[in-house]
Amino acid sequence: MQYTVGSIAPIFLSPVIAFVINAFFGRKLPRNGDWLAVLSIFISFVFSARIFGDFFFGQFATDYYIHKTFTWFDLSAGTHVFKVDMGIYLDNMSSIMLLMVSGVAFLIHLFSTWYMDHDERHGRFFVFLPLFTSAMLGLVLSDNLFSLFLFWEIMGFCSYSLIGIYYEKEKAGDASLKAFMTTRVGDVFLLLGIVAIWMVVGSVNYVDIYAAIAQGKFDGPAVLGISFATFTALCIFAGAMGKSAQFPLHVWLPDAMMGPTPGSALIHAATMVTAGVWVSLRMYPLMVLGDITWFIAVIGAITAFGAATIAMVQTDIKAVLAYSTLSQLGYMMIGVGVGSYNAAFMHVITHAFFKACLFLSAGSIIHSVHEQEMPKLGGLKKYLPYTHFAMMCCTLAIAGIPFFSGFVSKDRILGDALYFGFMAGQNPLLAIVPILGFAGAGLTAFYMFRMMFLTFYGENRTHDSHGHGHGHKDDHGHHGHGHEIHHEHLDFRSNVPLLILAVFTLGFWFAGNVVGQNFGNVFGGKNEWFKILVEAPKVEKFVDRPKQAFSSVDTKGEIVLPHAHYHHQSGYAGPNPDEHKLHTAHVIGAWLSIFIAFSGVFIAFLMYIKKSVKPLAEKFPGITEMLKAKYNFDHFYIDILIKKGLLGLNRFLAWLDMGIYDRYVIDGMAAVNRVLFKASKWFDNVVIDAIGVDGTGVTVNLFNLVLRIVQSGKIQFYFIMLVMVLASYIWTLNI
Amino acid sequence: MVSLASYLIISLILFVVGLVVMIARKNIVAILLGIELILNAAALNFVAYSRYATNNLDGHIFSLFIIVVAAAEAAVGLAIVIRFFQIKETIHIDEATQLRN
Repeated sequence: MQYTVGSIAPIFLSPVIAFVINAFFGRKLPRNGDWLAVLSIFISFVFSARIFGDFFFGQFATDYYIHKTFTWFDLSAGTHVFKVDMGIYLDNMSSIMLLMVSGVAFLIHLFSTWYMDHDERHGRFFVFLPLFTSAMLGLVLSDNLFSLFLFWEIMGFCSYSLIGIYYEKEKAGDASLKAFMTTRVGDVFLLLGIVAIWMVVGSVNYVDIYAAIAQGKFDGPAVLGISFATFTALCIFAGAMGKSAQFPLHVWLPDAMMGPTPGSALIHAATMVTAGVWVSLRMYPLMVLGDITWFIAVIGAITAFGAATIAMVQTDIKAVLAYSTLSQLGYMMIGVGVGSYNAAFMHVITHAFFKACLFLSAGSIIHSVHEQEMPKLGGLKKYLPYTHFAMMCCTLAIAGIPFFSGFVSKDRILGDALYFGFMAGQNPLLAIVPILGFAGAGLTAFYMFRMMFLTFYGENRTHDSHGHGHGHKDDHGHHGHGHEIHHEHLDFRSNVPLLILAVFTLGFWFAGNVVGQNFGNVFGGKNEWFKILVEAPKVEKFVDRPKQAFSSVDTKGEIVLPHAHYHHQSGYAGPNPDEHKLHTAHVIGAWLSIFIAFSGVFIAFLMYIKKSVKPLAEKFPGITEMLKAKYNFDHFYIDILIKKGLLGLNRFLAWLDMGIYDRYVIDGMAAVNRVLFKASKWFDNVVIDAIGVDGTGVTVNLFNLVLRIVQSGKIQFYFIMLVMVLASYIWTLNI
Repeated sequence: MVSLASYLIISLILFVVGLVVMIARKNIVAILLGIELILNAAALNFVAYSRYATNNLDGHIFSLFIIVVAAAEAAVGLAIVIRFFQIKETIHIDEATQLRN
């Protein structure tokens, strides 16, 4: 099997081509070119699947990678090297990520062709959707932080456009601006981090950065009193916080549901928010070097728990899902922070499948009922059986019920968090990480089943809303009419994507055993492929690795590298003295989270099905109000931070600008200029015009008087002159 | 045996006749004929010197070039004369004064 650029680049290029064609000729194509977008993503999927298959069945070593670079531009002068490379970096992790992104995005595209049918923004939607996907695929493929940053920003733009696609709605416009501005705060830090890395490494290649870490180039001078590695790692992580919506910068993600539901599915599952986790995983050695992993874990824990509490009181079905995304991203960050590298990445993948499915199911509900407020839904199970089945699978997965994917990945993270918080001899205050993590897991089970029960069970309340339902407009651009709900029939575009995604909520795809956590191995633990393929990069191995030319060919047979072995009985192989303790932590964590998940489901059941316990809102009205206000973060940012702090600063700067700078500097310059202008006007009129220009004319005229006599225009006179001149030569020579 | 001098005398006569025709005649065609005579005088000189002085083929080749150039020059010159006649209906040299002033 050979790898050239031609077998990798189509993954990124085919959605780009679809974007260009749809952007310029979309209106002329049948169905606004949505089939082209779907086809392009399918091509990406086929190429990704081939790469994944090779990495998966080829049993490459975990540190095997394909790295092809070319020089983008080279401004080196003498000894000063300034050279920017671009390229492709492909390892086990990117092959898994590519397959996930292209596969999930393909299903989302397919669903969108049904969801956005007859929508006024149908064409516009299918311009941004492939661009968004291509940016994510490019981000996964890129070999350096600089091109990663480019794709990162393209995704920021696409999310802005998709959130605000119904721009005539004021809320949608505000939400898109908020998403763009909030992520921008993180982006500035990310750029700063990239510049800092460039400063010490002289390159922003992953491989070069890993090698530089191994060679200790980051042990340089301190910045602002903290070590350079910590500073850089914090900057990179701040970027990830913006994109992955972590605690202080999380405010944009819940509002991002203003866009069409498939767009939300793409933002929440496959593309945008996973980019932050992706960069944290890629820069994991730097995070470890900078010793900020505990900080990442704490931020993740706060996000996981806080978002879960807010999700409990939301009434909008998409808002619940948006906050659950926040919460799950928090778990991923906990995973990064507590050092369970492959579990964090596994959670990215499992979360992408179930969250895409949840959002598409919500889209299916909204499209059928034209209503997204849960108090006005209910009893939909008999109308939407397929959606119910898919959504139930995903809910079980996200709630962490055994046999489903969420249990496998989340509980590996929580097990490691338990070890990290209580047994690893850390600061005792860090026990807050597993405590908040487990509490959030219980709340997750509760609020997800609350959503399920309110939406699909109980009596149907869609007809209650006749009175005030008419003024309401859902995100699909339809007015709620309270009309008859259509019974769902199995449809290729609307139900099949959901059912395919639902299949992948089963745990054994990822764990290789039925339950996860090494209980009930089906194939003797041989298929723990995730643990074998994905591991944190070992930086020493990257020192002095030669670079491949962009046009080079990777041939599997010719590369001599140790192959990975699929026979680890224990997933925690390696010289870890605390292996036993870790194993104990995982066993405790697994039973604890099974207990917590089931009790969450049970409480939801009591509250919303049996109604023997009063719902939360009636029991604790004060807390509910606080949660409904989302802990007042929007109020804090907009009213206090921006209106009081930034506005005052703005006024001061405006005074500096208009009062001082304009009056004295600008006007003073004007006065000086006026004098200079007069002087130069005199110079121009007298010296240049009168003496220079006119004087030249007069001089030429004088010569003209003489020359006119000779230049008679009579050719025979010229001949005589010629002969006379020649004769004079001869006469001169003779003398 | 014909001496070099006789060739040179013939060539001189041709040159002077051509020069006089060129200067004295007012007919443009006649002036072109004068130029042809001068060119032929030069070609004759080349051939004569290559025979008597250097005894190789340089002069012959040069005179071939002169003939080619003369033919080209005659073609262009006559074309100009024809256009001039179409415009002015005369071939008097003193009428060719459009560029003056």
